[in-house]
This record gives sequence, structure tokens and C-alpha cells, in this order.
Amino acid sequence: MNSHEDKPRSGLSRRQFLKGTGLTAATALASTPLLESGPAQAAQNARAATPGFGPGPVKLELTVNGAKVTTEVEPRVTLLDALRNYVDVTGPKRVCDRGTCGACTVLLDGKPIYACTCLALEAMGRRIETAEALHAEGSLHAVPAAFVQFDAQQCGFCTPGFVMAIKAALDRNPKATPEELEAAVSGNICRCGTYQQMRDAIRSLCKKMAQHNGQPIQTLAAASLSAGCCHHGKEG
Amino acid sequence: MAEIKWPQQRRVIGTKVPRVDGPDKATGLARYGFDINRRGMLHAMILCSNVPHGRLKTVDVSAAEKHPGFRGIFHFKRQGQEVFYVGDEILAIAADTEEHCHDCLRLVRIEYEPLPFVVNEEAALKEPGKGTVPNPGQGNVRPSGQRSVGNVEDALGKADAVVEGTYSVPVQCHCCLEPHGMVAEWQGNNLTVWCSTQATTGIAGMLEAQFRNRVPDVKCRCITHYMGGGYGSKFIPGPTGIACSELAFMTKAPVKLFLDRFEEQISAGNRPSATATVKIAGTKDGKITAFQADIYGTPGGGAGAGAVDAYHQLVPYVYTSIPNIRTVNRTIRLNTGDRQAFRAPGHPQACFLTESAVDDLANKLSLDPLEVRRANLPTDLPNAFKRPIYEEQLKIVAEMCDWKKRWHPPGQGPSKGPLKHGLGLGLHTWGGGGRPNNDVRVAIKSDGSVLVQCSTQDLGTGERTVLAIVVAEVLGLNVKDVTSEIGESQFGRSTGSGGSTTCPGTAPAALIAAHRARDDLFAKLAPRLGVNKDDLKIDPEKPGKIVAGDKEWTWKEACARLGMDTVVGIGDHPGDQSLSSQGVGGVQVCECWVDTETGIVHLKNFWAVQDCGLVINKLACESQVAGGIIMGIHYAMFEERLMDDNTGRPLNADMEFYKLAGMKDIPEIHVHMMDMPERGVIGIGEPPTISTAAAIGNAICNALGVRVPRTPFSPMNVLAALAQKGGA
Repeated sequence: MNSHEDKPRSGLSRRQFLKGTGLTAATALASTPLLESGPAQAAQNARAATPGFGPGPVKLELTVNGAKVTTEVEPRVTLLDALRNYVDVTGPKRVCDRGTCGACTVLLDGKPIYACTCLALEAMGRRIETAEALHAEGSLHAVPAAFVQFDAQQCGFCTPGFVMAIKAALDRNPKATPEELEAAVSGNICRCGTYQQMRDAIRSLCKKMAQHNGQPIQTLAAASLSAGCCHHGKEG
Repeated sequence: MAEIKWPQQRRVIGTKVPRVDGPDKATGLARYGFDINRRGMLHAMILCSNVPHGRLKTVDVSAAEKHPGFRGIFHFKRQGQEVFYVGDEILAIAADTEEHCHDCLRLVRIEYEPLPFVVNEEAALKEPGKGTVPNPGQGNVRPSGQRSVGNVEDALGKADAVVEGTYSVPVQCHCCLEPHGMVAEWQGNNLTVWCSTQATTGIAGMLEAQFRNRVPDVKCRCITHYMGGGYGSKFIPGPTGIACSELAFMTKAPVKLFLDRFEEQISAGNRPSATATVKIAGTKDGKITAFQADIYGTPGGGAGAGAVDAYHQLVPYVYTSIPNIRTVNRTIRLNTGDRQAFRAPGHPQACFLTESAVDDLANKLSLDPLEVRRANLPTDLPNAFKRPIYEEQLKIVAEMCDWKKRWHPPGQGPSKGPLKHGLGLGLHTWGGGGRPNNDVRVAIKSDGSVLVQCSTQDLGTGERTVLAIVVAEVLGLNVKDVTSEIGESQFGRSTGSGGSTTCPGTAPAALIAAHRARDDLFAKLAPRLGVNKDDLKIDPEKPGKIVAGDKEWTWKEACARLGMDTVVGIGDHPGDQSLSSQGVGGVQVCECWVDTETGIVHLKNFWAVQDCGLVINKLACESQVAGGIIMGIHYAMFEERLMDDNTGRPLNADMEFYKLAGMKDIPEIHVHMMDMPERGVIGIGEPPTISTAAAIGNAICNALGVRVPRTPFSPMNVLAALAQKGGA
């Protein structure tokens, strides 16, 4: 079994998470009886100088892939929605929105979490890493490179989540076995059916890691990029 | 011009080419419709019915309209109208943020006058005339057809063995990971939508029609650079597209509307259920002499019934030459979400119903089920051509899985304590032909760059790469030298990606376009290179070069002579069978171990033999076949939409209780592509998912000696079957 058996899979343990959201929610409810009042009242309350968090927008500063980004969100906004809707980082996908499918997997201080079950405010001051970081300056990280080489993606909507889950597992244990990496993605779901190709990619990754004596994976040579791809960048 | 043919000697086509957009997709840089953010963009959500059937007594939106974030509202249904299922759309609201959108929906007050409802087939069959759906006069259970060939009664009487069984597959949700939806933005008369769709040109046309009476010269452009799964459910704008584009029109702002997971599961499409009581008869030597089936299934309550209305035509599936057939079919209308086309509509159901019965007959006759298949392959027109293909496939798959050694009579295989070993198979068929109206444009510039464009879309099949491969082959280049642009409706005509027709529709078009671009290039270059244009050649032995006799130029050198000129070649599918054809067969074998104490099925190995004509990209082709099997594993082992009879509500409209397979559930999958280049290109998206559930069911039966008659093959259903036969 994995060496991290004693630790929670996500960055936050279930208990920590419940504690966190409970506190936040309690603060919001105590300060503003949102449900009883009308929308105008709620908006007024939102504008009022409520101490602490919300319910109106509050300043949010996130460190995403090494860059500091600042925006304003309501405290109820999840890390996933803050990334996608407020700072335009759309590699993490919203699929189940309930911590089941893993498409929103990001690394929080190096640990894989479901961004849909983490409030944005809880990620303040912590290091957030998304799949976009693995395709920087024309070189491709070994994990997505293996996915490309073995065609371990079809529609690709789940892929960034799988890639981040494997990257986290290899960061934690560069000598992870294929079985351990398969366990590391057991919290992710692919609908198109790319598991067989993913298995091939995982086996090849483990071989590569073994050849490199467990050096940090970033030092592995990245696959050359296909120049034939039209790169559809940010719209708007 | 000489007739254009696929090259005999192929340098790029048929090799393993990693998809050109792979890096962008794997690292989240690829922008799907759901990922598009526009300046000043509003967010919209749909409020749907939370009763299975009712009349809208009150629809009060006054409080929502006063919310400071509120921007606009679109009504699907007004006061006094009926809603027919939980998930039926009532209205959509646009607001400045998603959070405010949620708030606005909560402020809408709806009152329903409850009306009777039925949400499960068994309940409907108890009161067939009830009528709780649109066109209530026809009742909930409606005859949808029957057919009769030969004399079934007579054949049943004369047979050496007759087996009767009832087999069943439940409703399956598409569960697209990227939900249905779009971003819509108006600029004057121009509407741009970034839509998750399988038909960019279809969406553009349908949205233009939606607005033409208000905006006479409306022009819609649909962009689908990437889309996160459709499987047949994303051909039309649907309620999401209509509401989104209407809200953008009314608010004069870009609007994003994508369904949430609950709505995606209940209202965005599903594969209809199917249940059949089958009587099958045969002779000692394994010849099937009679097939009789009483079938029903549900497509939901609304518009078309799709494959459900054709079940009586679809069985006995590939065994079209059985001399005596009688089938009766009923379509059951329920207060549930409507069906949509789903990867090989009707086929996995027909395959499961038929192959389970054929297997039971083989068991009753104590014959090897593979030999029984062989004895009943089609000999009738137009299916007879598949017979030699199936014969070859059965031979290959038997060798691959060592059938003779691994197969054993049902319930008599190896055991490991409570674990029993099983092996089973299934056969399938599909069309997959190419169609005209797929414009492919190839442009070559003086810098040597090559651009191939088509408005078609990539559902995950690697379509961008297909075009680049074909063009690179013709021009003597590498795939990376060709830029492939797809998924924009203004690139010309293209057909929707359905029926496995995209690759066979566009690859021939790309071949013709590339040939024409090459001819145009030679015509323009010949005088500038001082040679006769007929002497210019692209030699597959010398990639990256253009040659004329003993002279040669690198691609870049030659193209540089174009100066300000651009070379263009445009092609379409020729509309005949010269470059693509249709009609495939496939055989799959499953090996499993079944735990008779827990009812857990462990899939061990899958072997698949699939023909698909000329393979364009071997890597993506094998990936499609393995993916089809995995989707079949989802279907066979886990998927079932559950509806509550008492409340009429769905019980698993999420991804926690609507189960899909994970990495650990997947056996080793061994794919053999039967390359038949002489047939041209044939689509591969649908066929490999068809016989998977049948093969698994037959393997389980082979392990237990007991038929588990319905999917999913959950511990509950396995144990129930064991208990009923007194086997546990």
C-alpha cells in the first residue's frame, strides 16, 4: 500500500474540511440572516462592513502556478469556481461538483485536492498548482507527455485531473509502482474510457522514473511538442 | 484529373501518431466551451420542475427580478402549462455572477397542481392505458411494431432444444463530463456561440432559424475547438442553447449557460432501457431455427422514441438468417427525461438481448458457444458479406484468448474457493460509412506552411490528427508540418459527428483537397522551377522533397517560389464508395472470475477483434476500441438510472450513486485491428462498445452455470440470480 496511508488523500482531512466550512458558514449566518431577508436587504448587508468574511465579496489573493492573482469573491465560492470564473484558470474542470470525479484536481501545497470541495478563502496563502503549469515555455512535463505518447485521453475533459493526481503521487514518491499510481487515480473518473491507455502511460512513467533513480520528475526530458497543434488560447 | 485513390504505399497513414492537440488537452490549456470567459459575461442557470408531472399554478419571478444581480429571464413554460418530469425546464435566469444566479433561482416561487405520474416500466405495464405523458390518450404503453418471418410455432415444435428467458438492460445516462451548454455573444446581427456540440454547422443553422424572424440577416458562428464528450446527445442547441442565446439577445451581453450535474444526468439524454422475453430454438448441431421476442423499453415521455420503436427490427441482431422470427415491441412512455442518440443507438440493447439467448441455447444443447455463433453467421443479403469477416474474426479471437483451452462448460471451470472462472463472447455490427458535405480546405503558403481546415468537430476521436495525417501523407510531409484547424462553422460544410461517420466523411475529403492543393502547387511552381508540371512529383521515398527527374528541392525551397501566391485545394467526400465504405463486424471475448459469496465480478481480460477498413491512425483507432470496451464495462457493470416510484424523482442524478468504472475496475484489454485497406475508411466510434455487455454477461453465466438476466452485474443482481436458481 502507499506510504501515505496514514495521511488523508487530499490536502485537507475530512475533519479539517468540515470544521473549516462549518466555521465559515456559521460566521456568515450569524452576521446576516440571509434566508429570512429579501434580496435588497441581503445586498445591503453585503455592502455593510461585516467583519471577517462576507456574505458579500471579499478580497481574495491566490498563488496559482507561482503567480499571485487578486480578485473579489463571496466567501461561499469554491476554489474551483474562483479559479474558473474569477481568475480564468480553466484547466481544473467542473464536472460532478461534489468531490466524486476528480476532474477538478489541483495541488494545494503539493497535495492533491478536489478544488470543488475547498473554499477559495481556505486556499489563501497556500501554493496552488494546476495542470497548466506542466506545459510551460514549450516543454511538456513527463506526466502529460506520457499521456500524449500513449493516447491516454479522448475528449480530454477528465485528463488534467488525472495528470495532477499522478504528478502528486510521483512527487510524493518517485519510486511509486504502477499499482500505487493506479490507486492514486482511483478518485478520478473517465467517461470516454481511456483507462487502458492510461495504464500504458503509467507503466512507461514508472520505468522512466526507475531509470532516473527516483530523481525529481521535473528533471526528466520533456517530450517534444507537436508543432501541428493550433493553440487555442484565452478568448476574450 | 485521374481518379483519386488511397496511396498503395503509405508512409504516415496507418502508423501510430500521437494526437496533435494532446499536450494542450492534457495540461488544461485547451479551451472547451465551458472554459470560455468573455468580458462582461453573465452566467445563466435553468430552473427545472421538481415534480414528475404537474400543472404550473404559479410562476412568480417578482422577487428574483428585484435581486441586484438579476439581468434577464427566459420562460420555457408559463403558468397553466404542464411539466412532465423532474428536470423539465421551466425558466432560465441570467445574472452577473453564478452565485447571484443561484440566489435568483431560489427566489422564484413555483406552485404545482400535482398530476398522476409513472416513472418505471413495471409500474406502467400494470396500468398500460393510464396516460401521464404528452398525448395522454395513447396511454403510457404503446404498441410500436412487430414482424414475422417463416413459421415460429412450427419451428419451436420441431426443435431439438427450446430455451425461454427474460433479459433486461436499464436506462443509461450519457453522463458527459462537460455538460450540455454554450457561451453566446451577439455583435450586431452576428451571434457567436462556443458550444459543446457534435455538429457545429447544425447548431449555427438551427440558431439562425431561431432568430431569423427577429433578425432577418442573422449570421451564427459556432465554435467547438474542444468538447468534453457527447456520445450522441449533443446535436441540437436544445433548451440550454435556446435559453442561452435568447438571454444573450435580450441582455445584450455574453451569457454562459452550462447545465449542472443534476440536470445533466436527468434531462440531457439517456440510452433507453430494453427488456425482452425470448424463446429461442435450435437443432443438435447448433443451428438456430426459431427466435421469438416480446420486447419493451422506455425512451422517456417526450418527442421521438429513437431505437425503442425499432427493437423488433433490431433483434435477433447479427443473426439475420434465422429462418423463423417473430417479434413484438412496445414503447413505454414515462415521466422521465427524454432519450438521445447514444453511441450505437439500440445496438448494445439488441446485442445483449440476442446474445444472452443464443448463449443459453448453446448451453442447453451442450455446445461450444463459439461454434454455435459460427454455425449461425448471416448468409442473407445485404448482410452476407460480413460472414467471411466474422469467420476470420472468430478464428483470430479464438487464437488470441486460447478459447479451446480456457473455455469450459458453464459452471464447470476452475475455482479458487468461492471464485469461479468464466469465459464468454458476443458479436456486433455497425455501419460507419462516410457522407458528402464535408468541405476540407488545404492551403500552402510560400513559407512552406500547410493549413488544413474543416468545420467538423473532435469528440475525442482525434479528428484534428486525422486531417493532418492524410494531408501530410499526400504532400510528403510529417504530421507536425501540417496545422489542423477544426470546429468553426464558418470553415464550410460538415456533417454532424454521429453514426461513426466523421473520419470516413472527412478523411476522403482531406485526401481530395490535398491532391488538388498538390496539383495547384505543381502548376504554380513548374514555370518558376523551369520544369514541366507533369514532371513534378512527391516521392514517398524522399519525404520533405519535391522532385522532377534528377532535380529535387526541399519543400521549403520549392514553396518559397510561391511568393505572394497561396495554393488552395478544396475537397469533399465523393459520395460514392471509392474512398470509404460501411458495414463492420466485431467479436469480443471476456474472461472473469465471479465471487459466489459476495456476488462481485472481477473482470480479468478482454479480447477484441475489430475490422474498420483502412486505418488512418493506429494509435487513436486502438484507443477507440479499448475505449468502446471500457464504456461497455461502465454499462454492464455499473450503470443504471434509478427512479423512485413514490416520489417520481431520480435517486442517483449525480456521479456518486450513478456509478462508473474506475481504473481498478478495468481488465487487461487486448485489441486486434483487422486492417482492410482495400475497403477504404470506415468509422470506428460506435462498434466496439456494442457487444461488451453481452460478452460479460455470457462470461458470468459460464462461470456460475446460472444466467444473471439483467445488468448492471452488481453484487445484488448476481446474488439474486444465484439465489433464484438455488446456487448460493
